[in-house]
Amino acid sequence: MVPSDEELCRQVAEHNAAAFETLLDRHQARAFRIACSILGSEADARDVSQDAFIRVYESAGKFDGRSRFSTWFYRIVVNLCIDHKRRNKWWRKMVPFSTPDDDPETPPVDPPSLEPGPEADAIRSDSARRLRSALDGLSPTQRAAVLLQTEEDLTSREIAEILECSESTARVHIHRALAHLKKTMREDR
Amino acid sequence: MREKHPQTEIAPYLRGDLSAAERDRLASHLARCDRCRADADAYAAVLKTIAADAARIPAPDWRAYRAELHRKLAARRNLVPGVPSRSWNQRLRWASIGTAVAAAAVLLFLTILPHSQPGAPSVDQMAMEDAMGGADIGLLRNYPVVEHLDLLENYDVIEHLDEVAPTDTSDENPS
Ligand SMILES: [Zn+2]
Repeated sequence: MVPSDEELCRQVAEHNAAAFETLLDRHQARAFRIACSILGSEADARDVSQDAFIRVYESAGKFDGRSRFSTWFYRIVVNLCIDHKRRNKWWRKMVPFSTPDDDPETPPVDPPSLEPGPEADAIRSDSARRLRSALDGLSPTQRAAVLLQTEEDLTSREIAEILECSESTARVHIHRALAHLKKTMREDR
Repeated sequence: MREKHPQTEIAPYLRGDLSAAERDRLASHLARCDRCRADADAYAAVLKTIAADAARIPAPDWRAYRAELHRKLAARRNLVPGVPSRSWNQRLRWASIGTAVAAAAVLLFLTILPHSQPGAPSVDQMAMEDAMGGADIGLLRNYPVVEHLDLLENYDVIEHLDEVAPTDTSDENPS
């Protein structure tokens, strides 16, 4: 019988390495994709999604089983992404005279895509460019909400669970995000 | 009688994420409201663009991804000599600096503006949560001076002041 995510998480809490690998198999692609959507950088997405798995590895015992494992885990991913975006703003504003040499692991601007090629060309396309630019104007929570809905096909209720807010609040986040994107993408034409 | 534009239900409607009753109510509103119908068309276009963009996210080299993750885990367990858990320490360090700066800003603000204006408009709670994250706002709810603290707690707020301003009053207009 295939163990559930929740059972695997319980086993990870008991230091079962194989269970951790299985959770990685099941969730690494989605964790990376969500992080990449929210952060807009593959390098940052790799780092942040790995941090999320590290949290699981070290804190699996804190999973109380009241929600599904996936909700708990993607809440960790999204919160780390939101923290990451906020931390980068702190970085830019509080240490304006630093150089990349100060911290080679945390460049002050997003590094270029690691894998130039067809994807990079596509991202340069006009609608994608306008979208990226418009997404940058959203708050991290709005951005997470609209991308979780569109890219991960989550319902407002699931998004609310991940963002730890009410369903109506999640809908307001999504509405505000879409209204902003609509306005900005139209103006940018 | 004034009818509120059910704008927050448009996206769930487009994605089939409404109950049957909600769906019928929205469909009937859209049939007679040009404004919401225009929004629905525009939102559908935006959602389509986002979905197309998501399909372009390339998958990383998973073998390298897992190897890197295991190196990080090993470093944190100090099982690999010569691999310091630098990234983690840096984050802790930045968290400490962030907390210290926020505390300093709060003290400065309280010194400069010790008394609140009784009639001053309160800050839009949700815009604050957008900008600050749920954890921070939960903490700040415990304090009566939250209306002043929140503007200093995180500079992100400054970039979202337009969201803090009163929202579109035309929501209340009849359709
Ligand atoms: Zn309407």
